[in-house]
Amino acid sequence: MNVNCKDYQHQITLLLYNELDERTRGELELHLRECGVCKDAFESERAMHSVLAEDTPSWDVPSDLLLESRKALADALDRMENKRSWWRMPAFSVVFTPMRLLESAALITMGLALGVYVSNQQARVAPPVALNSSANSQSPAIPRNGTISNLQVINADPSTGQVELAGEVSQPLRFHGKIEDDTVRQLLFSALRDANNPGSRLKAVEVLSQKPTDESIEEALINALVYDDDPGVRMRAVEGLKTFANEQHVRAAFMHTLQNDENAGIRIAAIDALLARNAKDPELAQKLTEATKKDDNPYIRTKVLQFVGSTK
Amino acid sequence: MEAILKRTAQRVHESEDEKLLIEQAQNGDREAFEQLVRRHDRDILRLAFHMLGNREEAREVFQETFLKAYRSLGRFRFESSFYTWIYRIATNVSLDHLRKRQTLKEEISYESDTEMHPDRPALKDTLAATTYYSNPERRLYGKEVGQKIQDALKTLSEKERLVFELRHYQGLRLKMIGEIMGSTEETAKNYLFRATQKLRAYLTNV
Repeated sequence: MNVNCKDYQHQITLLLYNELDERTRGELELHLRECGVCKDAFESERAMHSVLAEDTPSWDVPSDLLLESRKALADALDRMENKRSWWRMPAFSVVFTPMRLLESAALITMGLALGVYVSNQQARVAPPVALNSSANSQSPAIPRNGTISNLQVINADPSTGQVELAGEVSQPLRFHGKIEDDTVRQLLFSALRDANNPGSRLKAVEVLSQKPTDESIEEALINALVYDDDPGVRMRAVEGLKTFANEQHVRAAFMHTLQNDENAGIRIAAIDALLARNAKDPELAQKLTEATKKDDNPYIRTKVLQFVGSTK
Repeated sequence: MEAILKRTAQRVHESEDEKLLIEQAQNGDREAFEQLVRRHDRDILRLAFHMLGNREEAREVFQETFLKAYRSLGRFRFESSFYTWIYRIATNVSLDHLRKRQTLKEEISYESDTEMHPDRPALKDTLAATTYYSNPERRLYGKEVGQKIQDALKTLSEKERLVFELRHYQGLRLKMIGEIMGSTEETAKNYLFRATQKLRAYLTNV
C-alpha cells in the first residue's frame, strides 16, 4: 500500500455511492487495476453493499403508519388552528349547530378568546361565539357588554322568516388568578400565540418568565424564543430561560438561536447565558465553535474562543 | 438532449409550483401547506422510522417536524430548497429524540432495577424491545442478516448514523446532506467514510 492508498480507499466509498466526478473515478479505476490492497478493499466494500441490499426491503415504512401519522398531523393542525381561531375568526352566527354551540360554550366558560388580561387590565379579544335565536327567546344571547362588528346578512328567507347573520362579537374580560392556576397559564399561552399583538406576547413572556421552573412554561418560553417574530419577545424568553441554560432542551434552543437568530443582541444574550451555566464543557465548546464559525459578530466569536480555551 | 430539456423544464415547473405553494402556505393557506406535506411526508416518515426504530417515536418525529415547519414557515426565505429545509428540521428532531432516549437510558440504573425486582424482565430488555430491530414487525424480517446489520448500525455515532441513513437508505446526495446538517459536503463525505468502514469491519468480523 502506498501513501495514496488511504485516499483511494476513501474514494472507494464515494465510487460505490456514485459520488465521484469522472476524472477521479477514472484515476481510481486505473489504480484498482494495479493495487491489490485497494482492490481487496473495493471488493470487501462491494460485498458489504450486497449484504446491506439484502435487507433493504425490510426498511419500508408500514403503510398504515403513514396513514396514522397523516391523521395525527391533521388533528394536531386542527387543534392549532382552533386555538388561533379564538383570536381571529368571526363567529357570531344565529345559525345553530351542535359543534358551534359546544365550541361557544367551552370558550365562554373558559373565558378564552377574549384577549388576555395580564397587567394592563385592558380587554382586547374577539371570541368565536355561536348563538341561536329561537322563537321563544326574548333576546339573543349577545353578551350585555359585548360589541358587534363586521356584521353581515348571510342568508334571508322571506317565506320562513329565517335570517342568518355573521360577524364578530367581543367583550371585555377580567380574570384574576395566580400563575400556578391552569386557566391563567392557558390564557398566557394563548397570549403568546396572538400573532397580531406583540405587546401582549411581550407581557405574557414577562409573566411566564417568573415561573420558568414549570415544564409547560419552559416549553412555551422555548417556543417563543425559537418562533416568535418579535425580537423583544425573544429577548425576554432568553432572560426567562437563562437560569436553565445547562438543561438539554434549553441548551438546544440557545444553540438554535445562535445559528438562526438574525438579531445579534439576542445571540449575545444566548451565548452569555450558555457560557454562564456550562463551565468547561468540551462537547459544548465543539458545538459552539461549529455553530458560530460564520457569525459576523466579533463579541460572540471571541466569547466562544475564550470558552474553548478554558476547556483545554 | 430533448429528454434532458424536458426533465429540466419539468423540474423548473415543479420548483415554481412548490414556490407558489409555499407562498400560499405562508399566507395561511392550510390546504397549500397540506399539499407541501404530502410531497415530502413519506420520505420524512421513512427517515424517522429508520432513525428511531419504532412506530411511536417515528410518528412523534413526523408530527413534530411538520408542526415546526408549519409554525416557522413564515421565516422560510427560499435560501435553500423546501426539501432541504424540511429534512433539516426532521434530522434535528430525530437527533433530539435519540439524545432524549440516550439520556433516559443513562438515568436508569439497569443493575439496581434488576436487583430490586429479580422476577421482572430487565429494564434494558424492555427498552430494547421498543426499538425497531426488535419489534414484532421488524422481527418478521429480522433474519440473521437483518439482525447483524442492525447490530452493526448500533456501532455508529449519531452523525455517522445520520449521514449513512440519508445517503444509503434515503438516497440523498452528499452535497445536500452537508446542507441539511448545516455543514459541508466534505464533512458529510468523512462521516460516510467512517460509517462504511465501521460497518464493513463489523459485518466482516461477525
